Amino acid sequence: MSELQALQLRLQRAVMASASMALPELVGDDIADAKARLAIYRHGYRARLREALTNEFPTVAMLAGQRFQALLDRYIDACPSEHYNLRWHGAGLAAFLRYALPWRDRPAYAEAAELDWAISTCFDAADETAIGADALAAIAPEDWAGLRLQPLQQLQWLSLVTNIDAFRTAADAGAPRPHLRRRARPRRLLVWRQALTVRYRAVETAEGILLAAAAREEPFAALCELAATQAPPGQAVARLAVLLRNWVDAGLIRALDSGAR
Amino acid sequence: MNAIDSHREQLPYLGYGLGLRVEHYQALLDHPHGVDWLEIISENYMVPGGLPLVWLERFRARFPLAMHGVSLSIGGTDPLDEGYLARLDALARRIEPAWVSDHLCWTGVQGVNLHDLMPLPYTEEALDHVVARVRQVQDRLQRRILLENVSSYLRFAEAQLEEWEFLAEVARRADCLILLDINNIYVSARNHGFDAQRYLEGVPVERVQQFHLAGHEHGAALLVDTHDAPVPPPVWTLYEAAVRRFGAVSTMIERDDHIPPLDELLAELDDARRLAAPLLRAAA
Repeated sequence: MSELQALQLRLQRAVMASASMALPELVGDDIADAKARLAIYRHGYRARLREALTNEFPTVAMLAGQRFQALLDRYIDACPSEHYNLRWHGAGLAAFLRYALPWRDRPAYAEAAELDWAISTCFDAADETAIGADALAAIAPEDWAGLRLQPLQQLQWLSLVTNIDAFRTAADAGAPRPHLRRRARPRRLLVWRQALTVRYRAVETAEGILLAAAAREEPFAALCELAATQAPPGQAVARLAVLLRNWVDAGLIRALDSGAR
Repeated sequence: MNAIDSHREQLPYLGYGLGLRVEHYQALLDHPHGVDWLEIISENYMVPGGLPLVWLERFRARFPLAMHGVSLSIGGTDPLDEGYLARLDALARRIEPAWVSDHLCWTGVQGVNLHDLMPLPYTEEALDHVVARVRQVQDRLQRRILLENVSSYLRFAEAQLEEWEFLAEVARRADCLILLDINNIYVSARNHGFDAQRYLEGVPVERVQQFHLAGHEHGAALLVDTHDAPVPPPVWTLYEAAVRRFGAVSTMIERDDHIPPLDELLAELDDARRLAAPLLRAAA
């Protein structure tokens, strides 16, 4: 290890430390002592990470209330930033909240972080063009059975046992904090970007099963069979047609593959 | 004509510009007058897609752009981040900026990013290290880069060179250019007790391609470079000295926090024009 490398490592540890450390390599003068000089970097380090995380995690902030800053400090101490983009320091917050006490016993925290991070990553995900309703009209009748849907690659699926999406909606609207509710069974939430607008919405179990099958590129005939297990007799195809149109109108489908060459 | 003269001919003089900030996006497009060029924070646009790049294309159609990075870590001792350089290069190829700049600093080691502009000890070892990395980056990007002097608060016991000597020697040996942040010179001069004029005199004229103007805060004992306030009188005075020494250099106001309405920054930009114009006329 070079002298420069060793110095940088020691200085970095001192900047990240929660308590002040003395380094023999640093000197003071009659303007300021070494401790006061180092303190500017120590303060700035934590302040910058806190600010960036606060911007990225409004749902977690609303959920945690006055304990949000303490939560951020625990995360900053446990998980230093390793990305060149300050925003991406938040990539590990949901995982941290899933294992760190006391939050691991309160799944709403990890779910809030997952939702905020999904919204954040959809915001500048790679551009994809969604199909319009005209693409459906162009499918030949004989091609429908083998038709495969291709949902957006940036589409994210969350599984939530709480109503944490209501917190995000409230945070974005500047509305009061909702009551936290826990469900007996997890619920699917979709997060995606339609053109330049990030959207999220919960999906019913039956719709989630069908969209997941579509995402696996199962053919439309298989989706119809699946729909028949989820809908009253005789209504499966009609229900699937409505869902398909809704998916297309919501900008969730980027391509249709009829298999025709 | 030597290599530097030749290169300076290739890099344009852009006039008076602003750092592009989200708060001014619409106002800048609605009222682009008075802003000659824009400097973007590179990392904000090193993204796969979405709104940031849509806005960037709108500005690219209206303004000359320069790219200014914060995470190159040219003085760091981890290997240069090839993924970062690839994205930086891709962005530069996409928007064809007038130039690409970053800071004479390090930002982290052993994979950590402190997201701060950490000062280097001005030693012969650090000089050799930085020079080699600047050459590596310039080879990778196929262009010369600008390095900016950072505000510093630390004093290293082992320092062998003054900051301006270090900066000048990096530029000379690596054949790169210099972005002089006038506020940073003032802040560091006050914090370390050196003469800011002496700093200017130690920087080679032919290497300086850009000026930053900004403000700072008064801490308990030290000035703190916050870039969140108007350009204060002593920085204007130093800017005047810089214009006298370096001549017509592309200049911009850099505000990173407490972003004011665009009109306030345009007024500051006009102050810079008014201050520099008679000096440049007299020198012509």
